Amino acid sequence: MIQHIDVHALLQESVSAMYADLVTRPTGRVVRERIERAIAADGRGGVTIARMDFTGVGCIDYSCADEIVAQLLRGRPAVLLLSGLADGHREAIDSVLTRHGLAALLERGDGTLETLGAPEAAAALVREVLARHLAAPTSGGALALTPG
Amino acid sequence: MTRLVEVPAQFDDRSFDQFAAAFAEAGRNGERLLFDAHAAEWASPFGLVGLLAAGQAAGHRDTGHAAKPLLTAPTHPDVLGYWTRAGFFREAAELFEIHGKIPKVRVTDESELLLPVTPVHAAEDVHAVVSRIQQRASAILASELGLDPKATMGFAMALSEACQNIVEHAGTGGWAAVQAYNWRRTLGRRVVVIAVGDAGVGFRHSLEPTQSRRLGDRWGDAAALEAALIQGVSRFRDPGRGQGLAGIRRYLARWNGKIAIRSGTARIAIVPPWDEDVPLKDGLPLFPGAQVLIIIPEQESAER
Repeated sequence: MIQHIDVHALLQESVSAMYADLVTRPTGRVVRERIERAIAADGRGGVTIARMDFTGVGCIDYSCADEIVAQLLRGRPAVLLLSGLADGHREAIDSVLTRHGLAALLERGDGTLETLGAPEAAAALVREVLARHLAAPTSGGALALTPG
Repeated sequence: MTRLVEVPAQFDDRSFDQFAAAFAEAGRNGERLLFDAHAAEWASPFGLVGLLAAGQAAGHRDTGHAAKPLLTAPTHPDVLGYWTRAGFFREAAELFEIHGKIPKVRVTDESELLLPVTPVHAAEDVHAVVSRIQQRASAILASELGLDPKATMGFAMALSEACQNIVEHAGTGGWAAVQAYNWRRTLGRRVVVIAVGDAGVGFRHSLEPTQSRRLGDRWGDAAALEAALIQGVSRFRDPGRGQGLAGIRRYLARWNGKIAIRSGTARIAIVPPWDEDVPLKDGLPLFPGAQVLIIIPEQESAER
């Protein structure tokens, strides 16, 4: 089961609706706790992939990226699939994941997948999603989620 | 008795140590201070934020009297007008007893003043600063400095991390200001300057519980700044901490920018090729808290 998480919507529920930026540790903590609750609530249905959609999010700083993505992965609630990332988002998230020796999947606009984070953790993540049939190689040699 | 602290006529990061020396000397006996800026001709964002930090520190000292420190405002109308439009007096009114006629002009949105002097106390303030800077900075960063439009997000990130340093470590509030101007001094190009400062506990005090034993006799303001900026050390044991300054360094390396941090009696800088600053200075006049300077220059055509 894939759970969809609208990060921008959670952000606006967490801080003033005026702000679209994922900045500061306190904000990151509040958003992460909401994501954890959402995953736990749906966990009864067997969430295997949490798709975190960053569309609409402005700036992400390193502190907030650490507090949300890295801390979530340390709890291993599900495989994290990040989508809607701008270049600036990607840089901050990749950096904090690498520092922690963690990895996540990034879903490109065409639906293919790549990894972010530490190379060894990224290789292990690819092996895991292939072994669990969550993703499969495409005809072009990329990786994509398996239907259903 | 009131002791005089002269504000340099050209008040920026280069003249800051002269100001800090006067501040340290005048504050030695705990007497009321008079900051004399009547002859001021120009102040950078770093100077304005530093003057507020001095006022904050002077007000917190155990002086035995409740009076605020005094401030004589600049007499030149253009200088006075600029300090007002830059938001300096809006903040100074809380800290100083001000002498001089402050013009009734609004803190402005003029194009070069990307962020007027803005107080930073809590995470909510950082959100406000980041939101505002993204609305204002994008056009200037792209059209005047020649940065990739995508660089605006990194610029906001750098400002956010610098401001969070106050929220998480200073133990008090501080200020941020951002301005674009022509940098005739060494570069002959346009620059955007971020100044963030406070009169809080400073890097040495913040890192002391976790780092002083590791560095033994070397421990001091300079070692604390090196640990924070070069080694990415944080006062928290969580391995995810300490990434903010490293992130700022990466951003500045890409755009040939500069960062300098002054705290206590030391100052550290990551010096780009276009600048002649020194990487580390120790034994400077004591000044409380931390003062951060970030400069991003206009990109030369080969860099674009």
